[in-house]
Amino acid sequence: MLVTVAQALINGLLIGGIYALVSIGVTLIFGVVKVVNFAQGEIVMAGMYTSYFCATLLGIDPLVSLLISMPALFIVGVCLQHFLIRRVLKLGDMPQIFLTFALSLLLTNVALLLFKADYRTIQTSYSDTAIHIGPVYIAVAKLIAFGVAMLLSALLWVFLRTTDLGKAMRASAQNPEVSMLMGINPDLVFAVAVGLALALAGAAGSLLMPFYPAYPMVGQVFILMAFVAVVLGTLGNVTGALIASLMMGVAESLGIQFVGADSGLIVVFVMFLVTLIIRPNGLFGGKRR
Amino acid sequence: MADALVIRNLNKSFGGLRAVQDVSFSIPEGETVALIGPNGAGKTTTFSLITGYHRADTGSVMAFGRELVGLEPQDVCAHGLARTFQVARPFGKMTVLANVMTGAFLRDKKHDVAKRKAREVIDFVGLSAHEHAPARDLTTIDQRRLELARALATQPRILLLDEVMAGLNPSETDQAVALIIRLKQRGLTVVVIEHVMRAIMALARHIVVLDHGQKIAEGNPNDVMTNPEVIRAYLGSNYVHAEASGAGQC
Amino acid sequence: MSGKFSRKTLWLSVLFALMLLLPQFVTSRFYMDIVIRVLLFSFIGVAWNLMGGYAKQLSLGHAAYFGLGAYTSTMLQINYGISPWIGMIAGGGVAMLASLPIGALCFRLRGPYFTISTIAMAQVLMLLFLKFRDFAWGAEGTTIPNLGDAPWMMQFEEKAAYFYIALALLVVGLVVTWAVERSWMGYYLVALGEDEDAAQAIGVNVPKMKRHIYLISTFLTALAGTFYIQYIYFIDPPTAFSFNISVEAALVSIVGGIGTLWGPVVGTVLLEVTSTLLQSWLGGGHGGVQLTVYSLILMAVILWRPAGLLGLITDVYHRIFGNKQQSEQEAALDG
Ligand SMILES: Nc1ncnc2c1ncn2[C@@H]1O[C@H](COP(=O)(O)OP(=O)(O)O)[C@@H](O)[C@H]1O
Ligand SMILES: [Mg+2]
Repeated sequence: MLVTVAQALINGLLIGGIYALVSIGVTLIFGVVKVVNFAQGEIVMAGMYTSYFCATLLGIDPLVSLLISMPALFIVGVCLQHFLIRRVLKLGDMPQIFLTFALSLLLTNVALLLFKADYRTIQTSYSDTAIHIGPVYIAVAKLIAFGVAMLLSALLWVFLRTTDLGKAMRASAQNPEVSMLMGINPDLVFAVAVGLALALAGAAGSLLMPFYPAYPMVGQVFILMAFVAVVLGTLGNVTGALIASLMMGVAESLGIQFVGADSGLIVVFVMFLVTLIIRPNGLFGGKRR
Repeated sequence: MADALVIRNLNKSFGGLRAVQDVSFSIPEGETVALIGPNGAGKTTTFSLITGYHRADTGSVMAFGRELVGLEPQDVCAHGLARTFQVARPFGKMTVLANVMTGAFLRDKKHDVAKRKAREVIDFVGLSAHEHAPARDLTTIDQRRLELARALATQPRILLLDEVMAGLNPSETDQAVALIIRLKQRGLTVVVIEHVMRAIMALARHIVVLDHGQKIAEGNPNDVMTNPEVIRAYLGSNYVHAEASGAGQC
Repeated sequence: MSGKFSRKTLWLSVLFALMLLLPQFVTSRFYMDIVIRVLLFSFIGVAWNLMGGYAKQLSLGHAAYFGLGAYTSTMLQINYGISPWIGMIAGGGVAMLASLPIGALCFRLRGPYFTISTIAMAQVLMLLFLKFRDFAWGAEGTTIPNLGDAPWMMQFEEKAAYFYIALALLVVGLVVTWAVERSWMGYYLVALGEDEDAAQAIGVNVPKMKRHIYLISTFLTALAGTFYIQYIYFIDPPTAFSFNISVEAALVSIVGGIGTLWGPVVGTVLLEVTSTLLQSWLGGGHGGVQLTVYSLILMAVILWRPAGLLGLITDVYHRIFGNKQQSEQEAALDG
């Protein structure tokens, strides 16, 4: 029993690290640009396919193709902000929600057209290896993914706190005019924020590839997790999103272990609902006063 | 005359900031009272406390004998208090007429009745020419007129106006003053937040001064404007110098 | 004024008469099927639009009520032999009941977070129906026993019958919308959709209005669910609670004209025609084409014509018929 719990805890924590990369991206974009990116899950998918093809066509290990998917998606993010999101910033909820939502639909279905609904996996030298600590085992691929995810989160944290651009980002999360006062072009701040967010999601995709199948709809799982984590973790708050994501990973894993294989999501949603019930006013977008 | 609005020991903090501290004043029915004070003094917050947008930490707001603290904004409005917002908030894609009709529906759900009443009010504020224009196309000043019209359409007994004259030129200010005087003649109780001295002097026989959330003075215009503490509050906050010293001459 | 009014009524009468006669002309089951789909999705769009369009509560979880309607009538029919006609109304009632707690939770959030919470709610309901197999056939779902021509059980040999039911549903939806739009409710809904605080300031009870329009919207959506399941003779959770239902409901409204009476109809016609043409060009077997195109259209509309394509059509109409007046405002937007 104790072993099962420990095993579930570890598995959940490890996958929670991946959820964190996605949630941090969502929260970063929302904090700075004030738009919720519904397509963040599809960016994970894009990262996965990037690493998949790097591995199958070029024989590049996903941990290396991380260095391709991250910059590529950073550029995609800058373009996304510059050519699409920027144009709806002053238009209210409907265009803001449905623009990125349309993008999410588009990416999913283009992937479906190009790659069919097949599940694609790759084998790496470490895909099947595990470390045993007593009766508990830790899959190496997941451990690496978790480690890199935490490293990237930490780098982002340092970036936000030490660089001028990062500080401008945090400031404009509080008050959009501040970055202008700091003499930094707000368009640049926005574009870099979205770029970084997408790069993180891309990294999540690459890191998943050694132990998780790629398929066109894979983004849905991650975006739902990210949304719930962002709601749990107080908006625009990177550390909050990180902690909430780890919690969600654990909750999901415990749900799968003790309620049944397809119950992970139910447990997560129940957490979401409970949050709505007990913390309605603390939630962003809830009532003021 | 009986008091329309009685405010007692009102307090409100935002986190550590005490935006309104122990403020009390009352307004006799049919009077026009000005609420003044430097920026950040807590004037708008006081309006929000009265109208249910913020809930007072402690204290009481009685309007025509009924406690308002704890009511939702729409209930406060139904009780006969209508406010405007410092920055006008029109329903942008509705026309002027539809905006004002929405206010009129509070008292009568019949379409034709609401339309007739809305037209009256639109005429009263001088927006008839723009009746069918979408509100977002109006100038800032006309949007403020619209906001006033929408509030009036709810048939309030107490009207709370938040800086409706900011940015108007002198002749526009005089028009607005004339409008408010006509409302007063109809028996409305009016509370204005204003910075424009000539408007305050023309409208209010009673002034309440807030500074840093506290009431620092209250009384008739001459007494208040010569009150050293009031002058200090305005000067200390670097508030429009000319107006404060101009007030001293009154 | 009255001249314009009568011209509009004339057009509507002609359109309605044509619709009534349509089964006489369209005999191909293939095309009839498309027409029925257009009517059904127009109706779902109209139901969504009442809340999502007028009150700007942008739900992406209306599949929850589609599914509840579908399951209620199916369970009543299969377990108790109760006619889907009754089940349809019961389904609407169940949906309304469910909308109260769901609304109580979701309406605490605003903007995108409201949208996300509605998605989550619909997902939870689908997962529940997938999981609890004793309750309603679980993941396998069930087929509806085919009784041949059984009008009292909402089963017909002729597609025309389904056509008339779908048409009737759409007419109901449009009449409800028309009535809401003209009444104080329409004004209140648009007002709170524009600015909740400002609406409260003039006496609009925002939470109550949201609750009420949610009740109406979910009731109508549930009717569509019953009809759809009766039409395809099969139910399982992914069909009844399909995310695509939630998406299309919003999509057709936005593409056609969000918060307008005819917007969802225009949007559905446009999208369904596009998708049919695409399918005939490309043939089957291209999963993803339809939604790829839909999402491109949606993006284009949002970027270039966020008020929807209905406005474009009325502008053209007024230009052709030399109507000097600017394109006519919807009732709740003007006097
Ligand atoms: N919703 C709020 N949250 C936090 N602080 C607020 C809020 N509203 C007002 N304040 C603060 O309360 C003080 C009084 O503000 P306000 O009533 O708007 O002043 P005035 O209208 O007199 O210029 C200011 O310091 C303002 O920053
Ligand atoms: Mg103010």
